[in-house]
Amino acid sequence: MRLLDSTRLVSRALLTARLRSFLTILGIAVGIAAVSLLTTIGAGLQLYVLENFSQFGSRIIAVNPGKTQTSGIGALLSSTRPLSVEDAQSLRPLPFVELVVPVVQGSGAIEFGRRVRHTDIIGGNGEMAAAWRFEVAQGRFLPVISGNSQPFAVLGSKVKQELFGEASALGRFIRVGGERYRVIGVMAAKGQMLGFDLDDIVYIPIDRALALFNRSGLMEIDITYRAGTSAQQMAERIRQRLIQRHTVEDFTITTQDEMLSSLDRILGLLTVAIGALGGISLLVGAIGIVTIMVTTVQERTAEIGLLRALGATRRQILLLFLGEALLLAIAGGLFGLLLMSVLLGVLAIAVPSLPISLSPFYLLLALALAALVGLLAGVSPAWRAASLNPVDALQQE
Amino acid sequence: MRAADLLQFNLRLLLRQRFRTLMSLLAMAVGVAAVLLLTGLGEGARQFVLNEFSLLGNDVLIMLPGRKETTGGIPPLTGEGTRDITLDDVQALGQLPSVRRIAPLIVGNAQTHVGGRSRELLTLGTSALFFDLRDLGVRQGRMLPDIPLDRAASVCVLGAGARQELFAQQPALGQWLRIGDRRFRVIGILDDRGESLGMDMRNTILIPVASAQQIFNTRGMFRVFVQHQPGSSLERARQDILALMQERHGGEKDVTLITQDALLGAFDDVLRLLTLGVAAIAAISLLVAGILIMNITLISVSQRTREIGLLKALGASANTVRILFISEALQLALLGSLLGAITGYSLLALGHWFFPLLPFVVSSWALGAAWAIAILTATLFAWLPASRAAAMAPVLALHGQAR
Amino acid sequence: MIRLQALCKAYALGDETVTALDEVSLDIGAGEYLSVMGPSGSGKSTLLNMIGLLDTPDTGRYQLCGHDMTILNEEGRAAERNRRIGFVFQAYHLIDRLSARENIELPLVLAGMAPAERRPLVDEVIERLGLLDRAGHLPRQLSGGQRQRVAIARAVIRKPALLLADEPTGNLDSHSGAEVIKLLEELNSQGITLLVVTHDPAIGQRAGRRLRMEDGRVTEDSGAVNTPRETGYARR
Ligand SMILES: Nc1ncnc2c1ncn2[C@@H]1O[C@H](COP(=O)(O)OP(=O)(O)OP(=O)(O)O)[C@@H](O)[C@H]1O
Ligand SMILES: [Mg+2]
Repeated sequence: MRLLDSTRLVSRALLTARLRSFLTILGIAVGIAAVSLLTTIGAGLQLYVLENFSQFGSRIIAVNPGKTQTSGIGALLSSTRPLSVEDAQSLRPLPFVELVVPVVQGSGAIEFGRRVRHTDIIGGNGEMAAAWRFEVAQGRFLPVISGNSQPFAVLGSKVKQELFGEASALGRFIRVGGERYRVIGVMAAKGQMLGFDLDDIVYIPIDRALALFNRSGLMEIDITYRAGTSAQQMAERIRQRLIQRHTVEDFTITTQDEMLSSLDRILGLLTVAIGALGGISLLVGAIGIVTIMVTTVQERTAEIGLLRALGATRRQILLLFLGEALLLAIAGGLFGLLLMSVLLGVLAIAVPSLPISLSPFYLLLALALAALVGLLAGVSPAWRAASLNPVDALQQE
Repeated sequence: MRAADLLQFNLRLLLRQRFRTLMSLLAMAVGVAAVLLLTGLGEGARQFVLNEFSLLGNDVLIMLPGRKETTGGIPPLTGEGTRDITLDDVQALGQLPSVRRIAPLIVGNAQTHVGGRSRELLTLGTSALFFDLRDLGVRQGRMLPDIPLDRAASVCVLGAGARQELFAQQPALGQWLRIGDRRFRVIGILDDRGESLGMDMRNTILIPVASAQQIFNTRGMFRVFVQHQPGSSLERARQDILALMQERHGGEKDVTLITQDALLGAFDDVLRLLTLGVAAIAAISLLVAGILIMNITLISVSQRTREIGLLKALGASANTVRILFISEALQLALLGSLLGAITGYSLLALGHWFFPLLPFVVSSWALGAAWAIAILTATLFAWLPASRAAAMAPVLALHGQAR
Repeated sequence: MIRLQALCKAYALGDETVTALDEVSLDIGAGEYLSVMGPSGSGKSTLLNMIGLLDTPDTGRYQLCGHDMTILNEEGRAAERNRRIGFVFQAYHLIDRLSARENIELPLVLAGMAPAERRPLVDEVIERLGLLDRAGHLPRQLSGGQRQRVAIARAVIRKPALLLADEPTGNLDSHSGAEVIKLLEELNSQGITLLVVTHDPAIGQRAGRRLRMEDGRVTEDSGAVNTPRETGYARR
């Protein structure tokens, strides 16, 4: 039989039982819409989070004090063996090392004249902006010197706005935790990262920050490295060097590579899981196709007998009914995608910040999924139709 | 038609179309079971998390150094402020009439040695009141002594895990150990407890706060736990504490106060929302099942056109015919929901059996909602086909023509 | 053209077996016009289905146009049905969502013939059977006689050698019945071998060769007649 003819026969059959076909299609459509909508949103969030993290670049390694066993708060705690600025310095000569940034973070009052803003204070060094890929909008970042630093501060764009408004901040004196600092730079706006406002920060030299917070140790050392070595090799070099200095491994090394890939894995898994939840609806839709196809075969038994009498082979019958199931499912898939795009459109209008990425690959995948559902659901009823005995079938009313 | 007759009439029909009936039941059951299972899991996870974290009573405030003006963001959890919260501050706060108990906390990682063994352990410097505040009990020995906050003492209390790590099978009580460069005597072993507020109490050592200041060479508190006087309101205590701290810190508002409710509330909201969302996603499948039931009722109507004609000829009213078909759909939905409820709860119980950590939560609201949706969709979706049947002209129907 | 040798067919009905065909042997020449009569349940339809390759015998041999049919598999039988055999049923068996024309061209569609090739064939049959003004109608818009004529058109569209009709007039009034028989006889006179199962003696008598069946056996056979035209019925 020609493809065109079988398609015509199949679609004629579906169009005759219009309402029935429509409802079956609707069932599949709801399922496909659920799956594709949820995975689209999931994938969008995944992309968003990853982009947020990878804005620091991927060749970066963080060292935190304490072993990971002490949960995620190790860095914040005091320690009998703190990571020191000297520890950070000791990493510089390691091969491939590009930038080394000691980090301490706290909060405090920033004053300019009468204005006060309580905000995050980050202690770092001159390489911090480059390592974190933050850009300076005016002036310059902290100077690259070691030892006793001068009281220089760099303001995040929001702090600058709050304290100075439109006026220039460069060269002005502010108070950070009661001490006088000269503003030497203002950062470009960076936005939020996972609820953390990157613009509401004041940067000061690390030694001054340690003194300000009365801390003996760093919270983190960030190391960026040149291409040509692997994250693991680099981490190993750092580990060796620090163990040399501390005799024991009382720190934790996290490579951005590792973190990104495990984050990617987790979020990907989450997306799949959410999609699978939507898949329950698809399963029910598939049950719908099976039911309707079985009923159809039942109702059209005599017709099947006739076709066999006219010389249709079992294979032809099988394909005809499989084709019906397939067509129902694919129509359901298309309708489902339509439904999804409408919902996405509404969602995009209602929540404009929602990161949504529609990729044609996933849309095709959704259609393929629908087709697969149709095939799986159609096989058994179609097989039933094909294996009907023609003589008996002809006698059916 | 009497209800009993109706039931029997429908049952016979459903039994004759066994396959179709089975499939509709399956569809309904899958939907209901999915809703129950997912809400059960979500609720279970929520309760698990809340139980884990709600160690402080509702009457406890946590104070940390530093303050940020960005609203709605994360509190300054790094705990580094430009001005320390000192033991004097803690003592002064303890004098406030609205404060009942107060416990300082310094936390650090310290290398701990016993004999040849050495472990890095989480070391908490605090006071005797901390045990009351966080509801900690000792399994052996006693708690930290009730001494003035600024007095160091060479005693410590071990978490159960820390005790195991350091002493293995040997007796620990009364033994000496070294934290950093100072010696401490073990006076108590904590009850077995899980993780809480991000700290695994099992693997900690508790020492007097003044001793911790010496070990870690620090002055400021990492956290201060404040329990307010039962008579006064939490908000009142909050105001008092903030005012006193501002006064003591030269007019600077440089501490953050968080309540457990505020901390867990957001958490709770997120988890509740998650559970609801997951349940809603599962409920979509009920909609699909409803569509299937509509389809099946439609088929039933078209296949039984002659029968409808006959019934009408025998004097059945349009209403009776409608009820006939709707009740058939309703019966399917009810039976399917029942099956789904049984399956869902069995699976939950099974899950609880395999992972006892996960509480077995029977969320009655989910059951109610699932049933309501199932029945509502069935009735609603069966309405159209049933009305179609009801509106048939008897003569035409008898000849097998729908219109 | 058809040679049946000791065909047997039994059906299992619960514990007992019903013998539908009991060692039936038969030779049918090309162009013959046969009628099969007999009481209900005597095996007439079973015989027809056997000849029409819808059913397979338990034992015995069946040759059609010199080829052994018993060795064919399902596929082969389907192809033979499509090419050499036309069926006409009592219940018409038209697909009710397809127009008369579409019903008629079904065998060509199943054979995979291109639309351009099909068109002249269908046009010709429609004209020959006087269905010109009914071609676009759905079966339910046709009278019984018209429906059966569409079914006959469908049966002969591939110019089969053999036309099998199982009680073709069973659902028709006597006038339409007579018309249908006349049409079948006309086709026979153009060379097609015709086998009609009927309960109507008047119809049965018209055939050039008359079979009678009882209990799965052919009990009477009026014998082969050289050509159906010599009977003169077709011209009447
Ligand atoms: N599929 C089947 N299963 C069981 N028994 C069958 C089957 N088909 C036919 N039979 C039996 O075979 C015998 C012959 O049936 P057949 O249909 O050939 O009779 P018939 O002569 O065509 O009768 P009628 O004139 O009523 O159509 C009957 O006893 C019938 O019960
Ligand atoms: Mg018969």
